[in-house]
Amino acid sequence: MSLRLRPASRVAGFGTPDLGRLAPMFTPRRSITRQIIQRDAPVRRLDWMLLGPALALSAVGSLLVWSATRNRRGITGGDPQFFFKRHLLNLAIGLVLATGVAIIGHRRIRAFAPFVAIAAVLGLMAALSPLGSTINGQRAWIQLGAGFSVQPAELAKIAIILCMGMILAERVDTGDLTRPGDKAVFWALVVAAVPMVVIMLMPDLGSVMVLAMIVLGVLLASGARARWMIALMVMAAAGAVAVVQLGLLSEYQIDRFRAFADPDFDPGGVGYNTAMARLAIGSGGLMGKGLFNGEQTSGQYVPEQQTDFVFSVAGEELGFIGCCVIIALFGILLWRGIRIALHADDLYGTVVAAGVVAWFAFQAFENIGMNLGIMPVAGLPLPFVSYGGSSMFAIWMGIGLLQSVHMRHAGAFKTA
Amino acid sequence: MGDPRKRLRIGLIALGVVLTLFAGRLLQLQALDAPAYAAQAAAKRTQTVNVPAERGALTDAFGVSLAKSVDAYDVTADPTQVQKYDPHATALALAPLVNGDPVAIEEKLRTPKSRYVVLAQQVDPAVWEHIHQVQKDLGKVRRNDLVGIYSTKHSKRVYPAGPVGANLVGFVNATGHGGGGLEMTLDGQLAGKDGRTTQEMVYGRRVPTSDLTGREAVPGADVQLTVSRDLQWYAEQLIAAKVTETKSESGTVVVQDVRTGQILAMATAPGYDPNHIGPGDVHNLGNRAVEEAYEPGSTGKVMTMAAVIQEGRAGPGTRVTVPNRLARADQLFKDEHDHATQQLTLAGVLAKSSNIGTILASEQLSPDRAEANAKLHDYLTRFGVGQPSGLKFPGETPGILAQPQKWNGSQQYTIPFGQGLSVNSVQATSVFQTIANGGVRIEPSLVKGSTGPDGKFKPAAAPKSNVVVSPETARQVRDMLETVVADEGGTGKNGRIPGYRVAGKTGTANRVDPKTGRYNGYTTSFIGFAPADDPQVVVSVTLQAPGIDGGGGSLCAPVFQQVMTFALQSRRIAPSGTAPLDLPIEW
Repeated sequence: MSLRLRPASRVAGFGTPDLGRLAPMFTPRRSITRQIIQRDAPVRRLDWMLLGPALALSAVGSLLVWSATRNRRGITGGDPQFFFKRHLLNLAIGLVLATGVAIIGHRRIRAFAPFVAIAAVLGLMAALSPLGSTINGQRAWIQLGAGFSVQPAELAKIAIILCMGMILAERVDTGDLTRPGDKAVFWALVVAAVPMVVIMLMPDLGSVMVLAMIVLGVLLASGARARWMIALMVMAAAGAVAVVQLGLLSEYQIDRFRAFADPDFDPGGVGYNTAMARLAIGSGGLMGKGLFNGEQTSGQYVPEQQTDFVFSVAGEELGFIGCCVIIALFGILLWRGIRIALHADDLYGTVVAAGVVAWFAFQAFENIGMNLGIMPVAGLPLPFVSYGGSSMFAIWMGIGLLQSVHMRHAGAFKTA
Repeated sequence: MGDPRKRLRIGLIALGVVLTLFAGRLLQLQALDAPAYAAQAAAKRTQTVNVPAERGALTDAFGVSLAKSVDAYDVTADPTQVQKYDPHATALALAPLVNGDPVAIEEKLRTPKSRYVVLAQQVDPAVWEHIHQVQKDLGKVRRNDLVGIYSTKHSKRVYPAGPVGANLVGFVNATGHGGGGLEMTLDGQLAGKDGRTTQEMVYGRRVPTSDLTGREAVPGADVQLTVSRDLQWYAEQLIAAKVTETKSESGTVVVQDVRTGQILAMATAPGYDPNHIGPGDVHNLGNRAVEEAYEPGSTGKVMTMAAVIQEGRAGPGTRVTVPNRLARADQLFKDEHDHATQQLTLAGVLAKSSNIGTILASEQLSPDRAEANAKLHDYLTRFGVGQPSGLKFPGETPGILAQPQKWNGSQQYTIPFGQGLSVNSVQATSVFQTIANGGVRIEPSLVKGSTGPDGKFKPAAAPKSNVVVSPETARQVRDMLETVVADEGGTGKNGRIPGYRVAGKTGTANRVDPKTGRYNGYTTSFIGFAPADDPQVVVSVTLQAPGIDGGGGSLCAPVFQQVMTFALQSRRIAPSGTAPLDLPIEW
């Protein structure tokens, strides 16, 4: 680990210069309060401009999920606030996970990256095995009992970011190289390919696309040669053509693209969701109809409205203003993410942050775009806002990683 | 381009571009196109719902209910929902409530990939209320036994009188409209007019704040019939028993008010129970009194007598010499029994029901046979033969009466005594109503009036009437018919009612077997009216293809006698108080 960027004057009060072990290093003599409010306390080194929008989006999400589900007695079991409470519970768990990740730190987690990757791949295989369960045609879930289930693909996103970061940044952060060598890039891609292939078998096209965007983001940020990116994009295009030509896509997946190209294609079938979502959003107008007052929402016209189409609730009930606020919150969040990547002390931090940003960005763009009818339908949740435990946990672990990179960079003290 | 920092900055710009694009798209959707989307969304939410009109009731002449509509529920289930829990437990919980078979119910609940099955049809509102209550109670203790059980409200047609009047009243089909009988004839009045409401619907429920538009349903009118349930019941009991006793194919009884033409009862056997129509009822759903035409036989002689008297060619005392055989149209006509040449009055010809005497009488209409035929045809038509009865009953037959030019050699001699033409029971009854009513035929009717949604009773339009013969002719034929019953040598002795003067005529006709189209078996009948001196009620009794020996006098007259007695007493018609008229029948 390189220490050259760490100014010695800034680490006064720490028993050891290793910033990777922040929390346990406080001297026990100080009171808890002082630990929290002191100038160099971890809390004060947090990027609040990142955390604020993330919390705000989660809070808005809980209300939208509540509005979308409070009348759906078939899935709430009679408790209108069932999904609202579960969303807040998921958020709480996500915050705990994020705190844990931030405290442990991305650098120390790096040591566990291979294990995270192995766990993710095993989880994915388990989902494909008889242990897994099928929802909406995808064998992507593992039921844990008591109504809880996990989606191992979400863990795979974090695993790929960590592993690729580890492999790509190693020789650069030691100062041996100025940019990742072709060998490192090759092995990084191999590591990323394994979970992607398994997810493709599920088949969970949306998650594969997210992983592809993460790989692209990570490679871009790592400074790998542009020819890799070009080669990858050519391969992706060729792969897409091959997948369609060889009939590897399911009928419904092809129909989703057809419905996107031609909005009037099968309005009662695959085009129904998007048509209903657009009706809800369009009827919201500039100011929206007010929370809980959307007829299209309370009338349950939009299927999957608490998950993939939660943005349409915002569209109808919060209107143009509310939607713009949500988009702006994502803008701030992603801007802070890129900023963290730019200011990271080492390439590993930059790559990890960039991977997380690419992930959030693509999911947000795809989800909002599909709600607005300018992207094809892919079953991807809107980060922070959509209902869903696994997604929420992974997203907040991503926030944990970003905060970790931020807290441990040299400039953190200046901005604190 | 290789610098990560540059690349990230480019990413930042790309981010800004995409977010701006989204904002632009949002502006398009929510500002420019918003009114169109809002209108489309509202159209999606609004539903036009048919509001079924309540079907009117049918009552008898005294307001006794014969058919009415009540609320009923179909118990349905969403198998997909039920299968989330325990279909077996659901079936066990539900079966006793709907009085159903738990195995059959469970099978339906296990229907794969279904969202709708009907578990029990047309249960009482109280039954569904009970199920709903049990559902709520189970829900309170967090049990799912009856989750996924629903109901659909229907209107159910019930017939409080059961089989009484069933063939007359008819039934409704699955669409709730008349499928037979008066339910069909009167559907226009009974059905009312369905309403429509346009309302905002959310997940199957109306938005309480949304405006209701549309038009209200107009309930159907309640129709009061001319029949009396009790008389109808009595007639049905007797004819059913007689059909069984005589091993007949079927039988009918028609009771008509002489003065108004109103049908007081119209019974047929075998019948059916409209509340439980089964596959075995297929041949018994109709109303034979109007749907079945048969050759009337001797009851038809009444029209020939009336014609001859009206034409001034004879009177009740006119002397007729009746040989044992009469050669006409290459055929030797005979009477029911061989006899020596008889010296009968015209009254005697009717009392003895002589075919030969009737042919001889008909020849008095004109020396030219063709002219005689034309005259007789004219009278028959005015008596209603070959004409629709005016009841407009579904499946009604007007019978067959050929044009006189087409009457073939023997037919021109058989028609005077009631063979070679066909009528239904109502037409046959109507002939006697005409004589009893002083020669004025009044079209038979079944509807007394109706009470519309405004609550006002509207009497039915007065039935058409026409003068067939003069009152004097009618009186003379009436006297002859009284002799048929009163004379010791008459065929109608079994029709006598103590205390009342009765006029009537028997009929025993060769019957065309509908299966072969050839004569096979007999139609026996008795038609008469009382009191003969002041006629009030006509009763006709007809048996098709009795399986035992006997004619109209022995098989049908006893039923006539009982139904007529009941009708006279229930209508509080005073006994005659005078001796029956018995014209001389021989000379």
